[in-house]
Amino acid sequence: MNGPTQVLPLEEISRYPMLEERAVRNEDIHALVERIKEGDRGAFMTVTRLYQKKVFLLAFSFFRNREDALDIVQETFLRFYQKVHMFQKEKNFQNWLLQIAKNLCIDYYRKHHSKQIEFENERDIENMSHPQQKDNEFRSIDLKQIFSRSLKKLTQKQRMIFVMKQYNQLKYTEIAQILDISVGTVKSLHFKAVQKLRAAVTPYLGR
Amino acid sequence: MRGCKDFKKNIVAFLSGELAGEEKENFISHLETCPDCQEELRDTEGLMKSADSYQTDIDQALASVDWEALPAKITETVFRVEEMPSRKGRLTDFLGWMSQPKLRPVYAGILVGLLIGSLATILVFQSPWLKKAGGAGFMVSQDFLDRVDLEMARRETLDYLDKSQYLLLDFVRYSPEGEAELWKDEFTVNQARDLLSKKKYINPQLDKLRMAKAKAICDQIEFLFYELTQVKDDLTREDLERIQRLIEEKQLLLKINLLKKELKESEV
Repeated sequence: MNGPTQVLPLEEISRYPMLEERAVRNEDIHALVERIKEGDRGAFMTVTRLYQKKVFLLAFSFFRNREDALDIVQETFLRFYQKVHMFQKEKNFQNWLLQIAKNLCIDYYRKHHSKQIEFENERDIENMSHPQQKDNEFRSIDLKQIFSRSLKKLTQKQRMIFVMKQYNQLKYTEIAQILDISVGTVKSLHFKAVQKLRAAVTPYLGR
Repeated sequence: MRGCKDFKKNIVAFLSGELAGEEKENFISHLETCPDCQEELRDTEGLMKSADSYQTDIDQALASVDWEALPAKITETVFRVEEMPSRKGRLTDFLGWMSQPKLRPVYAGILVGLLIGSLATILVFQSPWLKKAGGAGFMVSQDFLDRVDLEMARRETLDYLDKSQYLLLDFVRYSPEGEAELWKDEFTVNQARDLLSKKKYINPQLDKLRMAKAKAICDQIEFLFYELTQVKDDLTREDLERIQRLIEEKQLLLKINLLKKELKESEV
């Protein structure tokens, strides 16, 4: 995700609906938060606009499901508003917000998702009906599908760390803060995630 | 090579740009002299590049959302929810109105009426002639119960077949080396053990309801998982190839697919 590189003053932010938060100064974020504490709807909407995608990506990495991810986005900002008075200026706002999202993901998963294995897609079942085609079947399997299935084999934390690093480009220190674990643990879990994915995907990479 | 294990643990961090300073220098120095770590680095780099294939899923999910409208929608919802505490104020007012002294005789009358009504209800239901007229309660026919049993057995069997199919598909797709790794993974082995327990649970149902064909196929699956879980640590390449051939010869995956279709069509 690449946003504009120049830093914008606070009053300009609302003119750019798809703005990324890295173009906004830290002190401006804190100013927005202070206004939200006083019930400023405009400030709240601006913060939502700035961080909605990041929250969505984290939730999507968790559930791999658009609808659940959008529910989490809604709940995260609702919880943020309810807890805005607890935010301390010394903290990194993004990490604090993503921590709320992460906790909601875990709670939501416990309530709504039981441990179940997903069915194979129709194409795989059709291929099974013709055993003589089995040799070609493996070669033509979509790498994206393999990767998606392989991600499911990771633990929740491993998957979140891998996706946050690979697709959100977050640093280990940021991930550690969001998940409330040490940087060493993030590094170790990231390594294990990649090892597991290698074991699952390598047979299809022709090695 | 001494220390290689420690350096290999840094490969992912190095490729992610997370190594710095002395640690990074030591890693690069080691890499220059270790062909094993160089190969490991290349393989890991290949994997991380293939991860880009999943980016399209993420991009599609992102593109499917109206990001311009969403903040307004969320703000509306959040502020509407947060206004709800004012309804608590209205409730307090209502309770205050209800507790005024002039309404007390009304409450006394309601209370007396409830007490009399409760006593009358107890007396009526305790009376002997009412007990005689009581029936056996809710009744269902044996045929209904049999159909419920059959439907539950059908669903349990379908669930077992689905989960087994998923696991077997993983197994047949890998090379023998990949299979060995797969069966060393505790998650996979626990899945197989769960399926063995589930099979024991559905056995009596399959026997009772004479689902012989389903039972035969489930028995074959059970035999396979049993063998794999028993020797998971000692699986040789020959063992793995033999098991793969067994799955292919018995056309197990095809049979599972056909049985699933039959069970789905025979819903009670």
